[in-house]
This record gives sequence, C-alpha cells and structure tokens, in this order.
Amino acid sequence: MLRPRGSKVLLLGNEAIARGALEAGICFASAYPGTPSTEIVEVLSEVAKECSIYVEWSVNEKVAFESAYGAAIAGVRSLTAMKHVGLNVASDILMSSAYAGVKEGFIVVTADDPSAHSSQNEQDNRWYGLLAHLPVLEPSNAREAYKLVKEAFKLSSKYKIPTIFRSTTRISHTRMPVELEEDIPVEKKCKGEFTIDYEKWVLVPAHTRRRKLVLLKIWETLREEDHYVTIYNQGLEKAVVASGLAYTYVKEALNLLNLTNRVTLVKVNMPVPLPRKPLLKTLEYAREILVVEELDPVVEMQLKDIAVSSGFKVNIRGKDLVPESYELTVEAVYIAIAKFMGVEDKLPWEGVEPIRLNPPIPPRPPVLCAGCPHRSTYYAVKVAANKARLRNVVYTGDIGCYTLGYQKPFETQMTCFEMGGSIGVAHGLAKVIENPIVAVIGDSTFYHAGIPPALNTVYNKSNVLVLVLDNMTTAMTGHQPHPGTGITATGETTIRVAPENVLCSLGFKVYIINPLRVKEAIEELTKAFEEFKRGANVAVVSRMKCALEVLRNARRRGVVLPIYTIIENKCTSCMACVKLTACPAIVIDLRSKKPRIESSLCAGCGLCAAICPYSAIIIANKPSENWETLWWSP
Amino acid sequence: MRSYNILIVGVGGQGLLTLGSIIGVACTIRGLDVAVAEVHGMSQRGGSVVIYVRIGEEPSPIMPVGSADHMLALELIEAARHIHHVRRMGYVTVNDFLWPPPLSVYPSRDQLISEVKTRDIKLHVVDANNMSVKITGSPISANIAILGYALGVDEFLRGLLGLDVIEKSLEEHFRGRALELNKSLLRIAFEEGLKRGE
Repeated sequence: MLRPRGSKVLLLGNEAIARGALEAGICFASAYPGTPSTEIVEVLSEVAKECSIYVEWSVNEKVAFESAYGAAIAGVRSLTAMKHVGLNVASDILMSSAYAGVKEGFIVVTADDPSAHSSQNEQDNRWYGLLAHLPVLEPSNAREAYKLVKEAFKLSSKYKIPTIFRSTTRISHTRMPVELEEDIPVEKKCKGEFTIDYEKWVLVPAHTRRRKLVLLKIWETLREEDHYVTIYNQGLEKAVVASGLAYTYVKEALNLLNLTNRVTLVKVNMPVPLPRKPLLKTLEYAREILVVEELDPVVEMQLKDIAVSSGFKVNIRGKDLVPESYELTVEAVYIAIAKFMGVEDKLPWEGVEPIRLNPPIPPRPPVLCAGCPHRSTYYAVKVAANKARLRNVVYTGDIGCYTLGYQKPFETQMTCFEMGGSIGVAHGLAKVIENPIVAVIGDSTFYHAGIPPALNTVYNKSNVLVLVLDNMTTAMTGHQPHPGTGITATGETTIRVAPENVLCSLGFKVYIINPLRVKEAIEELTKAFEEFKRGANVAVVSRMKCALEVLRNARRRGVVLPIYTIIENKCTSCMACVKLTACPAIVIDLRSKKPRIESSLCAGCGLCAAICPYSAIIIANKPSENWETLWWSP
Repeated sequence: MRSYNILIVGVGGQGLLTLGSIIGVACTIRGLDVAVAEVHGMSQRGGSVVIYVRIGEEPSPIMPVGSADHMLALELIEAARHIHHVRRMGYVTVNDFLWPPPLSVYPSRDQLISEVKTRDIKLHVVDANNMSVKITGSPISANIAILGYALGVDEFLRGLLGLDVIEKSLEEHFRGRALELNKSLLRIAFEEGLKRGE
C-alpha cells in the first residue's frame, strides 16, 4: 500500500481506490463496512497512523457520509465509502450535499453488487447521480480505478461538489497489477477552517432555491466535460458504447469476434451526466449504436435523449440485447454484440459436459461456520421458546452472518430487508398479528440502525422481544470494530457502549446469556420468554465471540481448543447432532451411516455434545487450560 | 492474446483467496498482467466459492464457462460441480477430500472421481490435506500443496510461473515458520506433480 512511485504491485480494486485517494492527498476517510466496499477504508485504517490521516468506522453510512462531508466543507480532502444499499441510508445528506457543495475534493464511493453476491438487492447507484445532480465516475477495471479516483478528486475540487465514484463487485474484488504513478504526499491539508456562509450551508427554502440554480449550472457545465469519454475508430456506421466494467467485456468480445476494427468503440468513464460533445460526434456517423452497461439503462436513456434532442435518427439499442439483471459476462456481451452485428453468435469455446449423478451434486449455500455462537443461540432460543410455551413465534431478521438462520433447522430469520429492519418490522407486525415476535439483530447492526426502532417499540407500546446477537465485532465483513468493542478503526481504546446499557436506558429488562453454556442459556432464555409473555419490555443479549476470531487467536497464541469426537459404539445414529445443529463439521459416513466429526473442522463449541441424548460425543484431545477465555476475552 | 485461465474452487474457509493472491503476486513479479476475481462476504461462509484467475493482457474478471485451462479444486464435490467450466483437454488438479454440505445427501468419493474421470480432461487427484498435515501438522496448507502439484503437472503453467516465482510470492504472504513450512510443502508437492506429469 505504501510502496514508492514506480513500484508494480498487485492491488485489490478496493486497495487501488484507497491508494489513489492517498495519492490525491486525502486526510479524512470514514465508512461503515459493507461488501463489496469494506477494504477501501479497512486498508486506509491500517496505514492511517503512518500516513498521518484520520480514518474511522462510523456507526452507519449516514454518519460516515456526514463526517467526511464535514471535513470537506472545511477544506480537507475526504472520502467516504459504502456498499450500494449503504448509500440509501446516506441518501438524505447526499441530496443536500449536492446543493451546498464542498470546499475541497470529496468522493463518495459506492460499491454496487450486480448479481447480489452479498446483498439484498442489485440496485444501480448511478441513478443517484441523476437524482442528486452529481457526477458519477466508473472505472473499467481495478487498475483504472486507481487512476480514476485521482481524477474524481480533481473533478470534485474543480466544481466544488461531491463526486460519486461507482465501483462494482468485480472491480472492488478483483486484484490486478498496478504501477504506482506517484508517492503519497507527505504534506497535505489536514486542518481546515469553517467559514460561516448562511446562504450556502443553511438549506432553508430561500437558500435552497438559489442553490438549486447554482447546482443546475454546474450540471450543464459537467455535460460539456469530455475528459471521461474515449473513442476508438471514430466515424464507422456501427458503434458500441460501453460504460465502466462493461468496456472490458466488450473489448474481449470484439476481439473474440474479430470485429475490433469494424465498430466505433466508445468507452465511458462518466456515465452521469453523459458528456454530450464526444457522443454527438459518434451520433453524426453511426447508423446503429449498441449501449453495453451493467444493470440499468442509465447511459442508454441519456444517449437516446441526446440523439432525439439533437435530431439524429440513429437506431440505439441496449437493454433489448444486453441483460438488465445480474452482472455481465463475456458470454452475455459476446452474444449481444454478435446479434447487433448480424454475425453467428455461437460461442468459440466449449467446456466438458456437466456432471449428472444420482444422488445429484448437493447445493452448497453459505452456512453458519463450525463453532458459530449464533448456532448455539438459535438452538437455545428454540428450546426455550418451547419450554415457555411460546407457540408460532415469528422471528424477524436482519443483515449479518446470522441471516443464515433462515435455513433449517433453525428457521429463526423469517424476514430480512435492510439494516435495523428486524425491530422496526417486528413493531408493525406486533400491532396486527397475535403471534409472539422475536426481533433478531446483530451487535453491529443494532448500533447501525437498531436503536431508533427499539426506542419506537417501547414508546409506541408494542410487545416485541429484542434479541441482540453480540459477537463483539462486525463479523460478516471481516471483523471490524464498532462502539461495543471499545476500540476504534485505528486500534485506539475508546469508550465501550454495551448493547445492554443502551437497551436498559430505553426501558428494556435485559437478560444476558452465554450461548456456549447451552443449559444455562436455555434456563435464562426461558425466564426471559416468560416475562415477555407477561407483557414486559424484554431484551436478550447473547454474547460470545465469532468462532473465526477464536480460531485465529488460538492459532496465533498457540492455544489448543477442544476437538470433539463421536464414540461409535455409543452412537445410535439418532442424528440429533446432525439435524439440530447442521454443523458443517459433522458429516455422515456413507458406509456406516453414522455421523462423524471432521476433526480438522471442529471448533470445539460443544453444542453437539450438549445435545447428544446418549452422551456419545466427547472431547478427543487435550485442550489448553485457558481455552475458554479465548471465547470472551478481547 | 488469449488469456491463460485458472479456476480455483472449493469451500469458503479453505484458503482459496490466499491461493488466488499467491498466483496473482507471482504474475506481478513475472511482469505478467493478471486479474484475480474473488468472492467476499456472505458467500464465503462455508459456501461454494469460485475464484477466477486470468493471465493475459487486461483480462476481464470473469472467464467464460468452458474456458478454464486449469482448475485447482480444494474439494471433490466442488470439483464436480464446476467441471463444465474446464475446456476440453484442460487440467484438473483436485484435493482428495470430500466435505459434504450439512444435512445433504451426496454422491460418494468413488462415484465422483469415476464420473469426473470420464470427461475429456487431464485429471490429477491429490491427497493435499494429508500432504499438508505431514509437513505443517494441519490441513490448512492444502491450497499450497495443490498449487505445487499443479505446477508440476502443467508444463505451460510452469513456463508462465516457475517454482522460484511462486516461492517469492509465498514470501509476500507468509513469515517465519509458516513461510518455511509452506515453501517445503510447495516443493514436495511440485516434485510429486513433476513425477506424475511425465
């Protein structure tokens, strides 16, 4: 990350974005982690001290945006990064920031997730540019991201407005060699000053109306920018316009089709607003144009608008040939271009036949890891709900590893929409259905967007049990700290805000359980459920560290964790351990038809041993004396 | 120029990201352009993971189905699931390790191997977990064993990335004892592959 100018390094797209931002002289970065954006601010946090810049994990994207924006209006270059749906959370301040503008370069990185590899939707955030009247830049690959980020800062500084930098999963999470063009500046502006300017920073209606005119003027000037469009083979009758990553696929497909010299190729790095001038030139010559872009027809729509308003009669095609859903592939683009050019669209490669067997290859969706404390919590919750005679419980769910609890045998996530939604949706349900409702939310998600809806359930008197799964980290995105950890992004100690303290002050009676002690957890949960049945505001915090962290720490510190084994002649093949835990470390031996624990995968949580009715599951090795402390000490 | 496509498949948590990065860094050391497309986040949690490594000039991140020149598979079910990504006469180097998904009904090891064998590919089944256990005491370095072995059997890959380049790349990924163990595991697996490849 910190290598000198001239070095050639393999960088993940997100690292390339971070390095570009460092070279551009940022002194402030803030984010809430979210796939595929996380590594941008993660790597910045790792080098923050050495580079003398300020980096934080904020509690959510809205706050992250506001913080970085605060720095930018005081004249300090800043960056905020988030996943596509994170920008929804920050969209209020996004809209206002366009009106008020900035004093120094400010980049909003949105990492979109076509195909929703790790998301609840695949929204195309280039629309936000059109909505907010802000420019959107998008690179064609991970390497170009590095250069384009620096351009984005220049653009933002030039027009004094935020610039949206759109990445996607295949840019953010692809590694490519990057030759570093510049050193990270030693001198940079880290101290700003706030200049009072009521007309600019106070968006009351009178000011807003004037700022709108300023914004539209910038918008019109931006349309005349021609830096961000590159044209190859200008003047041909057929043209392909490709935005961002789509350009890489188009280039490869044209090459495979041997058509590179037969089309005008227009590479777009600023899809919003689409630069008019260079495209007018293409429209002048071309009879037919194909627009290739991932997800929505953002460029296609604007190009059609330019063509119509300029009086060109060009046949513009796009989403009739290029899929509008899921991420693009070489195949999809190859077929679209072949059809557009009227040539054979048979693919030039042929793989071997897929495998069909009986029994068929089983699907392998993501599952809770071996040793995951959520598994133990879910098991305990279901047993305790039964004991407390809670029938037909509705479990509303949220965003995190624990969302995987929707699967069998747990079925303790019956909704999953957005961050914090478990509690808000539970409240509405509680007002209209008779079932008992448990809102399940992770610790990081609770801080992010769980506190206002928890407050709302108490204030507006609904009967919802709030269950916080506290593994003391933001696990799914790779273990980032949050306000419940007492540590900042750069490793400094800070105040620790425990979820039970927040819940107590909101008026909840809070039970704290240790899911590793299964029996005790069930007893405590049963008490909580009974109190909940009586109508009290009850919350449960289930606290245990993420198994991945425990395993890593055990490896690093040389601590031996217990590994369980099944005594074959005691095992009756009742399958309780398999069916009630769905632990990936327990496999069924095809010959003996008995369950077996794969010792290399067992994390030693002991849930299966606690469940086994025949006491057939025991510890097979000699664990270190202090092994248990790894599960709860930092 | 056509790119050389390496497909890495397995189960989240088997060191697939590290394997992709090791090859990527090796390419960078060699001055080759490369794109290593990874999967992060939820899909990593014990799910089926696919990583695309394309060595060529400005390659796009996702390789076409049926164009993989060499598939490195850390698990048998995943190898079978993704076999159609491999081109005819392509290489498949697979760990002799079956890890069924929880609660699943699944084909046996022998069923899987004998079916994969009938495809028009160069198949090598390697007990990489065991090789890793022998050298490092745990199966955690099975990924390195697979890479070493693959390098041994695949002459073209060996020409692109020599053993010395991979070793240099390992130096950027590991330190101290872990580095030493991985280096010797790489070499042992490489020699094994070389013998079998001839």
